[in-house]
Amino acid sequence: MSRQRSMEAIEASEFVTIGELARLTATRYSTLKFYTEEGMLPFEQAEENLTRRYRRVETVERILRIKQLRSEGMSVPEIKAKLMEES
Amino acid sequence: MAELKELTLAQRFSMIALNAQRSNMMTTVKKISLRTIAAAVILEVYLEDGLTAGAKGHIEGAVVPGKEISTGDLAYRELILKAVGSKARDRQPKLPWWLKKASSLPKRTLARFELVMAKGLADLGRMEEIPNLLGCDMFYESAGVSIKEYRCPIDEYTRITEGFRAEILEEGPVSDDAVCLLWLLRESGCLPDLFSRNELDLVATRIGELDTSHSLAHMIFPIQIYRGWEIAVKDALRIKRSFIRSTVGTGMLFLFPLLDRSQAVFIETEAWFSNSKQRLEAVKNRLEAQGHVFTVLKEGEIPTIKIDNLVYEVVPHYVTVRVPIQGVRLLPKRPI
Repeated sequence: MSRQRSMEAIEASEFVTIGELARLTATRYSTLKFYTEEGMLPFEQAEENLTRRYRRVETVERILRIKQLRSEGMSVPEIKAKLMEES
Repeated sequence: MAELKELTLAQRFSMIALNAQRSNMMTTVKKISLRTIAAAVILEVYLEDGLTAGAKGHIEGAVVPGKEISTGDLAYRELILKAVGSKARDRQPKLPWWLKKASSLPKRTLARFELVMAKGLADLGRMEEIPNLLGCDMFYESAGVSIKEYRCPIDEYTRITEGFRAEILEEGPVSDDAVCLLWLLRESGCLPDLFSRNELDLVATRIGELDTSHSLAHMIFPIQIYRGWEIAVKDALRIKRSFIRSTVGTGMLFLFPLLDRSQAVFIETEAWFSNSKQRLEAVKNRLEAQGHVFTVLKEGEIPTIKIDNLVYEVVPHYVTVRVPIQGVRLLPKRPI
């Protein structure tokens, strides 16, 4: 039987799924999906229809940065441009 | 980031099923939730390979040795296993039997179970009791009627629900925990609280796929765990709520608040403020005085606000008693 990974296991792994990102950052799934589609959250996908995997440390940092910029009143296109500048 | 403790399946599901339910009344909706939470306890033990009825109905191996459970309090598990185990005696029934028995426990046992579960979650800081939003209503507040409800911490609630939503809506394998949670949410009628109408179609497809490809799903999905009259009551309430959330229904609610009293909260203001910010301030004061967490999502003539875990619109309105009283009505935001 496959069980849901514990938070301890998630926090120790290099790659996480979008659901695990939602659990780690308390962010809405639809928000994360939108950021992914906008190219703000890079992911890896071995083949088509396989689960998208995100690098945990970098992606959590990126989400926290986006949240910070949102709280400063920036719009999504502005945040996207800023993230492009920073990377 | 805040320290995250692991919760068991039953505890996670309880946080969803009991959130915003009245704590000091046994409503039909809450009774259905409690029956499903009792079934969640059985699934939780099953997933840990613990469902074996020994002599005198004692269930062996409920906690896997060496497995660390940081929840501290599993009294709720003992309560359910004791109540159901006594019916098993020396038989070795299958999972559906356990689920059926757990979900048909008498009301008195369910009430005791609720107390134990809510206390356990409260001790972990995952649930609190706050005044019900209806308690902020002018008529209820001035009459001194106390209605309490459960509330889960917003962050923790988001983590659980959004992690689950992603697992179901995304391509890829689904864990046993998510399969159990999906079935529990379906049986408790909570799926529409977590998924939009479009997403519910995807969920229905997912249920069909899992039924054919996942052995646990194939075993539990055909099981219906609650009683006929309770289904009827719950369905009637759901139909009423979806009508109230339609454009016509919202208008009707303005004219006849008794149609759905808990969704038509009226808060009086000292004066007919021409400024929407002043109106909002009056609402904020009342809500915060009653212990609610309040966030403004959108300002304007009809602001959108988030109260605890739910979103409302604040519409200027007046009621006539002996004299007209001005204020605002809180209306649940219609799904977009």
